Amino acid sequence: MAETLLWVLPLVPTVTAALMLTTRDRRILSAIDIGGSAILVALTLVLAGEVASGGPRSLGVLRADDLGLVFLLLLVVLTLAVSIYTVGWLKQAVAVGNMKAESLRSYFCLVHLFVATMVVTVLADNLGVLWIAMEGTTITSAVLVGYHGHHHGLEAAWKYIIVTTIGISFGLFGTVLVSATAAAHGAVGADAMSWSAIMKVAPMLDPGIVRIGFIFVMVGYGTKAGLAPMHLWLPDAHSQAPTPVSALLSGVLIKCALLGIIRFQTIAAAACGRAYPTQVLLVFGLVSVVVATPFILAQRDLKRLLGYHSVEHVGIVALGLGFGGPIGTYGALLHVINHGVTKALAFFASGTAIARYGTRDMRVIRGLLAVAPIGGTLLMLAALSLAGVPPFSIFVSELLVLRAGISAGHWVAVAIFLSMVVIIFAGLLHHVGAMVFGKPTEEASREPEAWSPLLGMVLLAAIMTLLGLTIPASLDGLLQRATEIIVG
Amino acid sequence: MSTPTIIDDLGALLLFTMILILAAGQIHRAVYAVAAQSLLIAIAGAVLATATGNRDLWVIAGITLTVKTIVLPCVLLWVVRRMNVRREVEPVIPIGATLALAVMVVVMSFHLGASLGPVSQAITGNALPVGIALTLLGVLVMATGKTALNQMVGLFASENGIFFTAMSVTQGMPLIIEIGVILDVILAVLVMAIMVLRVRSTVDADIADLDRLRG
Repeated sequence: MAETLLWVLPLVPTVTAALMLTTRDRRILSAIDIGGSAILVALTLVLAGEVASGGPRSLGVLRADDLGLVFLLLLVVLTLAVSIYTVGWLKQAVAVGNMKAESLRSYFCLVHLFVATMVVTVLADNLGVLWIAMEGTTITSAVLVGYHGHHHGLEAAWKYIIVTTIGISFGLFGTVLVSATAAAHGAVGADAMSWSAIMKVAPMLDPGIVRIGFIFVMVGYGTKAGLAPMHLWLPDAHSQAPTPVSALLSGVLIKCALLGIIRFQTIAAAACGRAYPTQVLLVFGLVSVVVATPFILAQRDLKRLLGYHSVEHVGIVALGLGFGGPIGTYGALLHVINHGVTKALAFFASGTAIARYGTRDMRVIRGLLAVAPIGGTLLMLAALSLAGVPPFSIFVSELLVLRAGISAGHWVAVAIFLSMVVIIFAGLLHHVGAMVFGKPTEEASREPEAWSPLLGMVLLAAIMTLLGLTIPASLDGLLQRATEIIVG
Repeated sequence: MSTPTIIDDLGALLLFTMILILAAGQIHRAVYAVAAQSLLIAIAGAVLATATGNRDLWVIAGITLTVKTIVLPCVLLWVVRRMNVRREVEPVIPIGATLALAVMVVVMSFHLGASLGPVSQAITGNALPVGIALTLLGVLVMATGKTALNQMVGLFASENGIFFTAMSVTQGMPLIIEIGVILDVILAVLVMAIMVLRVRSTVDADIADLDRLRG
């Protein structure tokens, strides 16, 4: 059963994508969209149940283990939220001419192909397949980033496809090196690229080569994950993409790249000792947090602000992995989920605010609470959570990362991390406070809020708040087992 | 001639094509050079296939020949014609400086290749450092090339380098993976070509020249 699910899961979004081409009606397209995403969620939950009771399953080049499931769960939940949000967002976008009614089906088709490539990324056991799927996400999402077709969008899409393609060329190079040394130690044929097969021989691999391979992979997939200093494409792409795509890019895609890094981290830890990969991750994480801070403070474009914020939070995940130990790693994985959910919510809420005011300039958006009480509240909640205020989920995971840093004795890193988080806290709340409160401008649309974007946002806000108050036992178990895979 | 010598000779020729790409004055010359480079990779694949009796390598050599030597360069040349750019390739840094950088990259690659010694195979001679050099030089072309087409040629060359590296360390990646990688490259080039032409059709500018997104 679980083995069948492994090949059915990537097939679901692919079939959904194909179905999109059969109609032009917006309502039917949205229905297929939500239906496909709901089936994906249901099947993932079944798979998660099977893996929780019977351990990891593999089928050819695909494998479902607890580590991949953490990312898969985030992916499918966000996909469903995006589908629900898209219904109302699309109606508005078509009305103002941002999206053309006749080309909607290709948009939906691309979104689901994008989801399909991400599903393969998280389920891949073969590191070559992981790479192919990762490049596949670049190609499908680059088209989506430039979908509006105006100059800025195409410029962002070009920068995105060129920078990430250069980046993941390095990733492929690292993959080839690691699989070559695995082949020299008895892994045969396709096995030489299989993560689970490499892990069995990992302690015997040549440490010198794995070290060089890991650096290549770190730079390669780090580019895709948006770690500084390879993050240059990220604020452009995440801000220019249509809002639902921004949510997927920031919420899930950069996390998929992190999963790629984590797979190689485990190999490197076994081959050259635990200290080496964690130190590399620590440096990249710290640089990302520091680099993102001034851009967040000086930002005027709402979606770019959120883009730079993703750089910071990816940095925090890398820091958690870098501090290491069970607590740091658990915190990093929890942060992956928390940031994904919260950032998608933030993009949704910003998207509706931007549509209402017709601009992304944060100096023009004023008094959102007065014209859109629910949307304004949700934007405020998302910002509070992103800034790390209790009782929201990000507070919990940041605290875990911090605790891991303190117990590992990385005082300098902890001090830098803390001061950056405090500065960003102030900067973000200043930006969002000014948008939400105050007197709305005359141009702001006074239309009542549409139900579907609100439903999508409330779903995410509920998860965000729930995870801040308590972590359900089943999710806790999943995270514990995933942590064990990384820490060993 | 023994197999390692042939591979070494091919490696030298590959580096030569890379210099042609780096120093190409006009973009269509760079496309011809990268097509020649792909042809050499295909020949190297065929040589290794004969020497090792690995049937997968024949398939890979065949795909490289058809896709990377013929189809994709044709696509690029078609885009070049549609763009109607016969102008000089405007380098971000002078060609002399680029070539000096390239020399440093090659020297560095041979050092790196030496420290990766244990994975390279006797049958492939000095293929490993050449593969590393090609990959990095391809990235150099992407980074210094100002036009979109230059960046696409760089992507190609870099991908060629990775293929050559894979051949030199494991006699090629598993066939299915290699086909997947080539498929990705084809799709990426097509998407890039569409973007380039789309920008060209709306404004008289090269997509790589757009720089309005800042801060």
